[in-house]
Amino acid sequence: MSGEEEENAAELKIGDEFLKAKCLMNCEVALILEHKYEQLQHTSEDPMNQVSQVFEKSLQYVKRFSRYKNPDAVRQVREILSRYQLAEFELCVLGNLCPETVEEAIAMVPSIKTRGRSHDDDAIEKMLNDLSLIKKFE
Amino acid sequence: MFFHIVLERNMQLHPRFFGRNLRDNLVSKLMKDVEGTCSGRHGFVVAVTGIENIGKGLIRDGTGFVTFPVKYQCVVFRPFKGEILEAVVTMVNKMGFFAEAGPVQIFVSNHLIPDDMEFQSGDMPNYTTSDGSVKIQKDSEVRLKIIGTRVDATEIFCIGTIKDDFLGVINDPTTI
Repeated sequence: MSGEEEENAAELKIGDEFLKAKCLMNCEVALILEHKYEQLQHTSEDPMNQVSQVFEKSLQYVKRFSRYKNPDAVRQVREILSRYQLAEFELCVLGNLCPETVEEAIAMVPSIKTRGRSHDDDAIEKMLNDLSLIKKFE
Repeated sequence: MFFHIVLERNMQLHPRFFGRNLRDNLVSKLMKDVEGTCSGRHGFVVAVTGIENIGKGLIRDGTGFVTFPVKYQCVVFRPFKGEILEAVVTMVNKMGFFAEAGPVQIFVSNHLIPDDMEFQSGDMPNYTTSDGSVKIQKDSEVRLKIIGTRVDATEIFCIGTIKDDFLGVINDPTTI
């Protein structure tokens, strides 16, 4: 349990396994789950009975909290954020919460300011601007 | 946070499923077995998205069952301490409120709700600021920070706070 105790997402301590894993933004999960749900609709009469409660709740949640609906926009968000040397986890928190100011972004993802990384306020501001542009033109 | 990870599981298959459709049978049994489960280490398994590899089967002595090691990709939801996420309020009482983020339940105690928000009882219990401008009630959307997780065999339960900068109500159901 000692590993569990030290877990802290604010310092990016989420365990090696998850740090290396691919993180998904809510909008990406929505695309995956909706695709899977459609496949089920083809094969069975009553797809809602086929899926687990976890699936149903997750689908409702990601639909409600997806910032970007259109698959192209989702792809662009990931592409733009991946230019900024972020960890997967940081990228997805930013993509999910879409902070509007530099201050807010740092409060949401404190780890972008630590470990002597090259993110100064200007770089963060540019990143947030790029993000809001995608939203605007979606 | 949702992750896309590769997990491994030893699947036992009854001999009646052998034949042309062995692989399909194995995959549908895998989905039935793992989707919707929860473990402390990997969180909630939401959906199996693909099969990486199915290893050589091993016949069990005496039963005829065969065990296949199956590596599969899946979407999991795993909450972390310190993570900030959005959630929907499901219940409000004088102790605090419960919110849901996908499959996980998060409790925010009234000690971790800003001091200027007071509990109001009634048929729609809520927490409201003294000037009435901000209200937390059932179906409100809040942004919260997870400060603790409790893991048992089949569930993960979280404690959250909204007493910090940039946390709190993001959307009030009565105003839309």
